[in-house]
Amino acid sequence: MGRKSRKMRVAIMLVFALGAGLLAGCGDSGSKSSETINIFVWTEYVPDSVFEKFEEKTGIHCNVSTYSSNEDMLAKVKSEAEGTYDIVLPSDYAVEQLIAQDKLMKLDKEKLTNLGNIKDAYLNLPYDPGNDYSVPYQGGVAAIAVNTAKVDKEITSYHDLFDESLAGSIVALDDYRAVIGMTARSMGYSMSETDADKLGEIQEKLLTLKDNIKLYDSDSPKSALISGDCTVGFVWSAEIALAMNENPDIQVVYPSEGPYVFMDNWCILKGSSHFDASMKFINFMLDGESAKMVSEEFPYLCPNEAAVEAVGEEYSGNPAKNPPEDVIAAGEYVSNLDTETLAVYDEMWTKLKK
Amino acid sequence: MDKKISRHEWKSNLLPALVMVGPVTLVLVFLVAVPLLYVGVMSFCSIDEYYNVVFKFSAENYARLLNADYLKIYGQSLVVAFITTVLCILVGYPFSYLIARTKSKRKTLLYMLVIIPFWTNSLIRIYGWRTFLGTNGWLNELLQFLHLTGEPVDFLFQQGTTVLGMVYCLIPFMILPLYTAIEKLDGNLLEASADLGARPFATFFQVILPLTSSGIFSGSIMVFIPCLGYFFVADILGGGNSDVIGNLIERQFQSGNNWPLGAALSIILIVVTLVLVKIYQKIGGDLESLGT
Repeated sequence: MGRKSRKMRVAIMLVFALGAGLLAGCGDSGSKSSETINIFVWTEYVPDSVFEKFEEKTGIHCNVSTYSSNEDMLAKVKSEAEGTYDIVLPSDYAVEQLIAQDKLMKLDKEKLTNLGNIKDAYLNLPYDPGNDYSVPYQGGVAAIAVNTAKVDKEITSYHDLFDESLAGSIVALDDYRAVIGMTARSMGYSMSETDADKLGEIQEKLLTLKDNIKLYDSDSPKSALISGDCTVGFVWSAEIALAMNENPDIQVVYPSEGPYVFMDNWCILKGSSHFDASMKFINFMLDGESAKMVSEEFPYLCPNEAAVEAVGEEYSGNPAKNPPEDVIAAGEYVSNLDTETLAVYDEMWTKLKK
Repeated sequence: MDKKISRHEWKSNLLPALVMVGPVTLVLVFLVAVPLLYVGVMSFCSIDEYYNVVFKFSAENYARLLNADYLKIYGQSLVVAFITTVLCILVGYPFSYLIARTKSKRKTLLYMLVIIPFWTNSLIRIYGWRTFLGTNGWLNELLQFLHLTGEPVDFLFQQGTTVLGMVYCLIPFMILPLYTAIEKLDGNLLEASADLGARPFATFFQVILPLTSSGIFSGSIMVFIPCLGYFFVADILGGGNSDVIGNLIERQFQSGNNWPLGAALSIILIVVTLVLVKIYQKIGGDLESLGT
């Protein structure tokens, strides 16, 4: 009897708590706009605090989902009904694909009052000339991490990663465009080479890398560097920055051939029924203060000048967070390939990983 | 008269039959038959320049499956699965025997020792091994503390590590059917064997092993088949240097973005599975003990 009445009391309390929650919810949405925008972004890339701040400021609710590769995102965007996602965050070549397939809405530039914060070098890029459909968020390069306490060889280029002395010591991105592209650049070719003879040469060199790579990891390659399981890395620059925090022996090297560069961009998908709210969100992300919050949590290359100034030495003085301008200028973006060439790349990758 | 009865029977049987079998049929049709058909159809499609699946018949995907690199990966995958299965039998059999034959209260405890880790996400447990076996992991620290090695040993990111991870993940599938088989073993037969002069060694090979072989067979099937597909073990513990069939499929559905090719690879995996189950039935295995 005693137990039963206690259960009853708990149940009644629960009902009241739920009711109160509902009421509070109603009050909240009454005072502010109750619009919800659906945002589809990379994992471990946009801090929750930024979304919370946007909600607080505008009353627009952010419904966030995440993906871990451009291909994942493209497949989802194409298979879901239009309007499932309002905002996406594709990398350069994926922006180009979305534009070519007529999946993006033109941005209303008059509403992008904070666009002036973005450095000119990151505007007007070949994948979206004039930034009609996209504005940059963050970027980076695929750089080399070296644990100087354990590696004797001096590494200055992508080509050095093929050295026999590095057998079984590299953690590389589990990304075929990155690894094959790196090999191509080490030979002075383009990351998006299509010539059959050159691809043959690239494959030959690529396969000599097999013994050097110990681990393929795109999700958190810093872990293997920090734990010491791998002493050299071919990974994203921000991962190196985070690894350096944990282990001061780790250093960043920018390859003399010029690195693989990427830039991720905010875009609005066709069929979005929250265009104005989405524009507000994108403009909010271009704001110096928001970009600063992002940069402090995920130290990728920050194209936002106001944020760079606000973060100060912490960002500018750290070569892993802030790749020098000449490095970026010497780098190359990945571009789209036709399906036949991609199939060749896929075969090379299978040969490397078999 | 006859007709009346049969009609009456028909009427009285139809409704209960529909109610009982209907939902199961629906579930099987929508969750098994339709997806299988979808994968089958997709394996004959191709992709356009934006990786969209186009419904244009082509057998090219199947031709690509015979690629020498793929063949090497199938072979490697079968070897990994075979070694894993053998290790699971060698480790699982004595343990199952211990649980089944022990009379003490510890029986439940032993049983739970197998089951409880099984409730935790296998990805997390596999990452646990990575921490344990790492250069600065506990195992290396222990070995160095005991002065068994001077330098840290490289345990991680080798094919052997993949096998270890597979054994670890899949051993409950071996232990459970073995336990059931050994549990059923009649103690009187063992006594009879001893009375008739058989030494323990002979009793084991001539009485116990044949009588529990059904457990070994079903355990082997249940370990071998998932082994071909556990791509995350090969990625996390193997370092991604030696793929299994599962990696090939995963890659075509994700970064490769060639779903038709991935579908064709899945069909191959299904065919291999069916062949194995057929072989299993031929040797006299019972489908029911596979949980089907």
